Amino acid sequence: MTSRLPRTKGGFNFDNHVRNTMMEGKGLCLPKATKTGTTIVGLIYKDGLVLGADTRATAGPIVADKNCEKIHYLAPNMYCCGAGTAADTEMTTALISSQLELHRLSTGRQARVVTAMTLLKQMLFKYQGHIGAALILGGVDLNGPHLYTIYPHGSTDKLPYVTMGSGSLAAMSVFESRFKADMEREEAITLVKDAIEAGIFNDLGSGSNVDVVVISKDNVEVLRNYAKPNERGIKEASYKYPRGATQVLKTSIRDLVDIKETVQATTTEAMDIS
Amino acid sequence: MEYNGGAVVAMVGKNCVAIACDKRLGVQAMTISTEFKKTFQVTPKTYIGLPGLATDVQTLAEKFRFKVNMYKLKEEREIEPRTLAHLVSSTLYERRWGPWFVEPVVAGLDKENRPFICSTDLIGCINFAKDFVVSGTTSNQLYGMCESLWEPDLEPEDLFETISQALMNAVDRDCLSGWGAEVTIITPDKIITRTLKSRQD
Amino acid sequence: MAGLKAGEVNLGTSIMAVQFDGGVIIGADSRTTTGSYIANRVTDKLTEVHDTIYCCRSGSAADTQAVADIVHYYLQMYTVQNGKPTVPLAASLFQEMCYQNKDNLMAGIIVAGWDKDNGGSVWNIPLGGSLHRQPFAIGGSGSTYIYGYCDANYKDGMNQEQCIEFVKNSLALAMDRDGSSGGVIRLAVITEKGVQRLFIPGDKLPVHWQG
Repeated sequence: MTSRLPRTKGGFNFDNHVRNTMMEGKGLCLPKATKTGTTIVGLIYKDGLVLGADTRATAGPIVADKNCEKIHYLAPNMYCCGAGTAADTEMTTALISSQLELHRLSTGRQARVVTAMTLLKQMLFKYQGHIGAALILGGVDLNGPHLYTIYPHGSTDKLPYVTMGSGSLAAMSVFESRFKADMEREEAITLVKDAIEAGIFNDLGSGSNVDVVVISKDNVEVLRNYAKPNERGIKEASYKYPRGATQVLKTSIRDLVDIKETVQATTTEAMDIS
Repeated sequence: MEYNGGAVVAMVGKNCVAIACDKRLGVQAMTISTEFKKTFQVTPKTYIGLPGLATDVQTLAEKFRFKVNMYKLKEEREIEPRTLAHLVSSTLYERRWGPWFVEPVVAGLDKENRPFICSTDLIGCINFAKDFVVSGTTSNQLYGMCESLWEPDLEPEDLFETISQALMNAVDRDCLSGWGAEVTIITPDKIITRTLKSRQD
Repeated sequence: MAGLKAGEVNLGTSIMAVQFDGGVIIGADSRTTTGSYIANRVTDKLTEVHDTIYCCRSGSAADTQAVADIVHYYLQMYTVQNGKPTVPLAASLFQEMCYQNKDNLMAGIIVAGWDKDNGGSVWNIPLGGSLHRQPFAIGGSGSTYIYGYCDANYKDGMNQEQCIEFVKNSLALAMDRDGSSGGVIRLAVITEKGVQRLFIPGDKLPVHWQG
C-alpha cells in the first residue's frame, strides 16, 4: 500500500531556501545560529593523548550556554573536540560516531583513528566548507596515539600538539613555550588546562570551565569540568518575589492521574496436555 | 524572528518545571493578535515553546504533533522530554540550509518526574540547561532577568512568581513582545496554566 | 578557476622537483596558513601516492589532499590489477582530476618519481589542469621569486648531490622572500632503491644575503 505519510528520505531538505532568501532580501534578518567561539586543544604525551575544551557557546555577543560539552564521543577509543557552528559539530560527530560503530560491528575490530579522520574529512570536503565544523580528533588504536586537526573545508594535519577555534592563538602560545615530547600524565593535563585557561581568559569567544579527556592505550577518562576557574559568587540576598505578586486573570488546573496497569495471570489450573 | 515577535522562557524548580510565553502576534510593528500562544502541550507532562516566524510556528507545531503521535503509536509509550529534544533537533537540522525560523524550547518532567528543560537554535543545536532557557526576540532581556531572579529548588508557586516576573519585566523592554502572557507549571500531579494580567502596549 | 574560499586553509608554499640520472629530488617548505596565522609550521607537502611516485602539493590544502587521496586509491587499485604504475600514468590521473574539476579546485601539483620505463621524471600540473613534463619544476606562491635563479643555475646532467644542493638553495631563497612560505625544508630522494627522506631544520637552512 502506498503510504500517505510523508516519507523520510534522509539527507538535507532545501525546501525553505528560496523562501528564506526572499525574506532576507526584504530586509528580514535571520536568527543567528549558535557558534562555539571556542578554545579546543589536544596533545600527545608519553602513554596517550589529552584533549581539552572550554565550555562557552555563543550566539553573536550573547553567551548562549555557559557550560556546554564540546568534547564529543566518537568511539570507545576516540573523542573529538568541535569548534565552529555548534549544530554542525554536534551533528557531524554524531553521524561519524554512528558510522564508526557500524564499521566496528561489520569488521569485528576496533575502528582506527585514520578511519574516523578519513570519514570526517571526506564528509566535510563534500560539503565544501558549508558545514562549519573545525575539529580536533584524538584517539588511541593499535598503531598508538593519533591527533589530527580537521578544518571545515576538509583538510587535515597530524601533529603532536594542536589548538583550534578563536582561542587557538592564546592556547598555542602556551603550547609553543611549554610543550615537551613524552610528558608524564599529570604534566600533560596541567599543560592542557593552562592552554584552555589562556583561551578562557584572553579570548572573548571562550569562557567558563575546562573539560578534559585523557585517552591512553586501554583507559579513557572523561574529566568533565576538570577546572572551574569562573565559579559564580553566592548571592548575598534573595530576589524571590512574594507569592501573589503576579496578577492573574485566569487559572486552569489539570490534575494528572497515574494509571497503573497490572497484568495478572488468570489460569490457575494446569493445562491438559494429554 | 523580528517579523512576528515573541518570547518564551522555561525554568526548573523543585520537582517541577515552568514554561511561559507572551501572546502577541505582530507583523513587524503592527499587532495582529493578542491571543497567539507559543507553547504547546505534546504529552501530559511535556510542553514545547516555539517562538519565531508565525507561519513556521504553526507548521512546526503540527509537524511535531504528528511526529509525537507516530512515536506513540510505534513505541506504545509517551515520548520522553529528552527524546523530544533530539526529535526537534534532527527535524531542524534536516533543514540546515533553509531553516525554519524558530528557536524551540522543550520543558517537561521525565518518567521519573525529574525536571528537564532545553532550548535549540534554529538549526537544532541543543542547549541543555540545568537552570533556565530563554528564546525569542526578548531573549537578551530574559537572560538578564533570569540570571538575577532564578534560584535553585523553587517550589511550584514560587517558580510561578519568578518566571512570571522575569517574563513580564523582560517584555516591557521589547516592542515586539508582550500583550499578555501565559505561564504553565508542570508538577508530577498537576498542570497549572495561568493567564497573566499584563501591560497592553 | 576557483579562488580560495573564505577561511580556507592555504598551502602558501614553495615546492620543487628536479630530475637527475637515476631518479628525482623533490622538496617543499613546511608552512600552512589560514590568513596570516600559521596553522602548521612542520607540514609535509610531499605526499606519497605510490611506492616511488610522490606529489608536491600547492594551493588549497583541502583540495590537494582530496585529489592526492583519490589518486592514491586509484593507484592502489591499478597495482592490484596491472602491477606497478608509471609516473606519467600517475601524472595523467592527477591531470584528469585537476582539469575536469578546474572550476572547483585550487590545486597546483608537481608529480615526480621513478619507474622502470622512464627512470626519474618530473611532471608539472599548474592551476588550469594542463600537464607538462619538465627536467625540473617549481610551484606555489614562493616559486615566482626564484624563476630567474633556477633558470640560471639549472644544468643538465647534474648528479644527485648537485640536485639536492640546487633544490635546497632554491627553496631557501623562495622561503626568504615569500611570506606564505617558511619553516623547514623537506626533501625526498626517489630512486630505483626507494625513497630517502631528508630534513633541513629552520636554523640549518642555506643562508643567502640577508640585507
